[in-house]
Amino acid sequence: MSGQKFEEIVERVVIVGFGPVAARLVDEILPAVREGRLDLTVIGAEGVAAYNRVLVADVGTGRTTGEAIGLADAAQLRGDGATVLLGRTVRRIDRARRTVLLDDGTQEPFDRLVLATGAQSVVPTLAGLNPDPAALHLLPPGVTALRDLEDAAKLRAVVGSGGRIVVLGGGILGIEAALAAVEEGADVTVVHHGPHPLGRNLDPGGGRMLAAALHASEIGLASDVRSTAVAFRPRVGGRHQFRALVLEDGTELPGDLLLLSCGVRARTELAAGCGLGVDKGILVNHRLEADVEGRVFAVGDCAQVACGDGGCTGCSGSSAGPPGLIGPGWRQAEYVARRLLELAPRRQVAVVSGTTAQTQAAPLAPERPGVMLLKARGLDLASAGNISAELWDAWRQERDSGGSPPGCPPIQVAQWADPEHGRYAKMVTRAGVLEGLVCVGMPRTAAELVLLYERGAELPADRTALFRLDSVEQQDDGPAPADPDSTLCRCSGATLGGVENAIAVGCSSVEEVSACTRAGTGCGGCKSRIGELIEAYASVAVRAVPQ
Amino acid sequence: MAVDTHCPYCALQCAMRLAPKEAAPATAKPNHDDGSAQLPADGTQLEAAGRDFPTNRGGLCRKGWTSPALLDSPERLTEPLLRDGDGSFRPIDWEEALDLAAEAIRSSRSLHGPDSVGVFGSGGLTNEKAYQLGKFARLAVGTSRIDYNGRFCMSSAAAAGNRAFGMDRGLPFPLADLDQAHTVLLLGSNVADTMPPFVQHLQGARAAGGLIVVDPRRTATAALTEAGAGLHLQPTPATDLALLLGIAHVVVHEGLADQSFIRDRTTGFEALLRSLNHWWPARVQAVTGVPAELIRETAHRLASAARPDAAGQATGGTYILTGRGVEQHVDGTDTTTAAINLSLLLGLPGSSHGGYGTLTGQGNGQGAREHGQKADQLPGYRKITDPAAREHVAGVWGVRPEQIPGPGVPAVEMLMGLGRPGGVRCLLVHGSNVAVSAPDAGAVIRGLRNLDFLMVSDFFLSETAAEADLVLPVLQWAEEEGTMTNLEGRVLRRRRSIDPPAGARSELWIMTELARRLNAPSSFSADAATVFEELRQASAGGPADYSGISYDMLDAGAEAYWPYPTGSAGTPRLFLDRFAHDDGRARLVTVSPTAPAEALNGPGSLTLVTGRLLEHYQSGAQTRRVTELAAAQPEARLQLHPVTAQGLGVVDGDLMEVSGDRGSVRVRADVTIGIRPDTVFLPFHFPEEQSANILTSAATDPISGMPEFKSTAVRVRVLAKAGAL
Repeated sequence: MSGQKFEEIVERVVIVGFGPVAARLVDEILPAVREGRLDLTVIGAEGVAAYNRVLVADVGTGRTTGEAIGLADAAQLRGDGATVLLGRTVRRIDRARRTVLLDDGTQEPFDRLVLATGAQSVVPTLAGLNPDPAALHLLPPGVTALRDLEDAAKLRAVVGSGGRIVVLGGGILGIEAALAAVEEGADVTVVHHGPHPLGRNLDPGGGRMLAAALHASEIGLASDVRSTAVAFRPRVGGRHQFRALVLEDGTELPGDLLLLSCGVRARTELAAGCGLGVDKGILVNHRLEADVEGRVFAVGDCAQVACGDGGCTGCSGSSAGPPGLIGPGWRQAEYVARRLLELAPRRQVAVVSGTTAQTQAAPLAPERPGVMLLKARGLDLASAGNISAELWDAWRQERDSGGSPPGCPPIQVAQWADPEHGRYAKMVTRAGVLEGLVCVGMPRTAAELVLLYERGAELPADRTALFRLDSVEQQDDGPAPADPDSTLCRCSGATLGGVENAIAVGCSSVEEVSACTRAGTGCGGCKSRIGELIEAYASVAVRAVPQ
Repeated sequence: MAVDTHCPYCALQCAMRLAPKEAAPATAKPNHDDGSAQLPADGTQLEAAGRDFPTNRGGLCRKGWTSPALLDSPERLTEPLLRDGDGSFRPIDWEEALDLAAEAIRSSRSLHGPDSVGVFGSGGLTNEKAYQLGKFARLAVGTSRIDYNGRFCMSSAAAAGNRAFGMDRGLPFPLADLDQAHTVLLLGSNVADTMPPFVQHLQGARAAGGLIVVDPRRTATAALTEAGAGLHLQPTPATDLALLLGIAHVVVHEGLADQSFIRDRTTGFEALLRSLNHWWPARVQAVTGVPAELIRETAHRLASAARPDAAGQATGGTYILTGRGVEQHVDGTDTTTAAINLSLLLGLPGSSHGGYGTLTGQGNGQGAREHGQKADQLPGYRKITDPAAREHVAGVWGVRPEQIPGPGVPAVEMLMGLGRPGGVRCLLVHGSNVAVSAPDAGAVIRGLRNLDFLMVSDFFLSETAAEADLVLPVLQWAEEEGTMTNLEGRVLRRRRSIDPPAGARSELWIMTELARRLNAPSSFSADAATVFEELRQASAGGPADYSGISYDMLDAGAEAYWPYPTGSAGTPRLFLDRFAHDDGRARLVTVSPTAPAEALNGPGSLTLVTGRLLEHYQSGAQTRRVTELAAAQPEARLQLHPVTAQGLGVVDGDLMEVSGDRGSVRVRADVTIGIRPDTVFLPFHFPEEQSANILTSAATDPISGMPEFKSTAVRVRVLAKAGAL
């Protein structure tokens, strides 16, 4: 037994940030906290425990409440033995001493640190707004981002009074908020760069469909414009109130609220401050480790997976920075939770002196480029992956360069467009497998395409099968068959011929036909058909009677 | 003499009248000389006809109509059969058979301990047989190893019902209550094929446009939603739980929840709400393939019928019903719980305007799960681990509580251990055809062959009986007395209409004879009425209390819904004032999806779901022997979507090989748009190379022991083209 000693070890885990991804991580490791194997501290900057940020726009438009979208309960977590610090921020991380220093000067020691600091809204460069990210909470009255419950409350006040809202930015959150707000009675204008909203997620065809749908929803759309300034209404004894967004050409778009939807930026300051690698997010490897010792992890909107290997295909999809989607964030949380649970001791363990018990963990599988599903009532829109390819690209490539390089089949596009009825679908495939899709106004097609995309499954050669999922023919059977051998009554197995025969030999009511043939004696679904057959026979018989 | 009884098959237990054929009222029968014969050609002496009753309203399906054909089937077993050294069976007399069986049990017990003897029962047994089988196993054999095929059907719904409500009765309300409903959500249930007369009770919801069917197939039931009668949600297999969470998400976030009901009658709402926040409709769409808008529409539809309308008029009510499609999964208990949670959020259970129920499958799938043939249970739906329950039952049996063994193991665990160290070595099977109906049937058959001794009681040489050392010929439904408890928890009389063939014996008599040979304590009886009297006492005070029910009452037409304590009038509707937990409240239990039992949707992989055809019942041991039914559905066919078929180069009728991790089957293709392109379907009624359960996995739900029948990864290829066959 030399070289070994037994000791009680409790791994101290500190999580900085308490958003949806941190909440998932907490859920996963909570059993170990209850058992006393992990000592957990969660530090959240907001005054409330984690809630689902995806639903913030619904709170802002009055469709649900802030209390209802919670993902964690601080009191319950404390009851389970976790330390939950709310409304507190971390000032600094001391990696050498393995402590975090809080805003009130206290310190929290850690063995493992998880950074789940998330992202914050970008403040655009407009005259009248302070672009300093640190001043985000100091936005003037009538101007807000849409990231947290305080933002939602500002939106709620304007939606509730049927006010005018100017949405700046054509990203998904802005469009979702605009659609919800206009449905709840607000007057909404969306101002964005580029020819159509959701420029990064939609091809020109899908973009035109979206623009038409927004127009039909009575959302004002100011496309391909730049805004330069914010105009204010002076208020005596208070801060100036937003009055209008000023465009490049001097036009003013007046409103009661300017909703900023200009994207988000990862919160990386803490990581940068303690010498961790930072780019668009906190740089982590495929095991989500931000440091070489594997003591510091980053997950969710603050994390950027980039292993540093230029040839790594797993990183290429995330080179643009954190994906900003909840699904990948939750998968990261589950992964780190597994790691932390592996590292947590089972009560008493043998500690082997001089070596680390740490084994190299299997990396987290890379994510496919994310799927965007617009969360709106009455407008169904999905897009995913590579959407830039257009209908005749493969044909042009064939013509111009004499075919695609060996081993690399060309990108193919199949498309259905019916602008009059608001339907549009585009499938971008390579060797039959979806690499991208856009789908508007075809909910069943969209749902199936997204499943096929996520699975990497090969599409049916008959692509029209997918375009037809929302068609009327899929939802109704044709006329009843006329073949005498066809089954008329499924429950009893009685055939059409058998029933017709029974009628011919004298059955003149449904009950009589049932007694003879058993047709209509199960679920009763064919009784009306039997009645029709009796009537048809009677009318033929009448006509056959000589005058 | 015409006798009023009920159908031998499913849990709807359609009321029927059995009459001698010649005495049947003469009706103007059409001439069938044109070849379109409608009625069975079997030389049956009895004829069945539907009888008016609240559940079937005079209706029968094809299975019920033709059921008398089996009574004088040429394949009927009429003498005990013993396997000889050369593997063939030879008839022996009953004395020898019973002595042999008793000796096999005694020998296994003394060599390997009492738990080396297993008893496998059935949801097809009468209450009397199920009750006495449990008693026989525990007192005469002394084993804890008893379980039954209801583990394959009802265990997940039972576990979820017990967890949420403190009690499990399939429908906690009379079936006819559904008639008033404006909205019925059917989850994974194909009643139009499995219990066709049930469909009459959906007419109100269809007329109101509110029948909502969740099924990856466009089944005959899903087709009932056409033409404005409702909605069909077609999720990819193994995602039902996420779908239910999405619907519940909309309910809580769009102001559709019944807040006062949640406050007054449930616990656990806050934690449930937090868990639902993970599942907004767009995310659910990405997992299930069901459009978000359809998820929202479903939630609103469910809520609108659950509320009085603006004028304060009741709008007919909302019912949520689950079937095997959502229950037979490794997360079946949790999925059923999600359905129950949804019903509780809407304030349905125990209300006058709706409810939750599970549609029990087997004929006595309800009663057979109440009276002690379940591994963890004693009569009256008592827990075998509860000291008070043990004391009560021991008192009725006249034994000491410690003479009753403790809990055994669930069915799949028992079957997977057959002939293995620590497993069962001597098995008695009653009313079950596990060689066809159990998951991973290939492994089960190998297990049966590894046994020291296998005794099967059946009236046909089923595929399981064919593996036996000793086969005992027993009675069919029309030859015996007893009670069955239907899907509503209503106790019904099964009456003897015809004398059994000489040589066949009742299982009650067999148990009695074996118990005597094994010097069992307590008493056993061959008489159903006597056994029922004892069952009444044993169930008294338990959740499923039958003590106030008697044969005389039932014969007089009483509507006997349990619990029916002595002196009461029974309980047609449960939970009206309180749920069965001590505090009277229902539990909202937080559940979330887990990974499926095996990886699905990989390259070249399709997901197999299994189920039933209208013409056949369970393993087909009976219906495959009815000429008319066998002619209508002679073989298993693999349903697959045209686009899937095209990709595989398959046309309708091609011979296919369907293979998975555990084996392969050979069936012909049935190409139909009535199924998702990522899904294939096989009926499980057929044996050998068409046996769907060769493919299914023995993975089980950790809470209920329910096997995963409804999502198996398979590969499909063409063996022979249709034209070449």
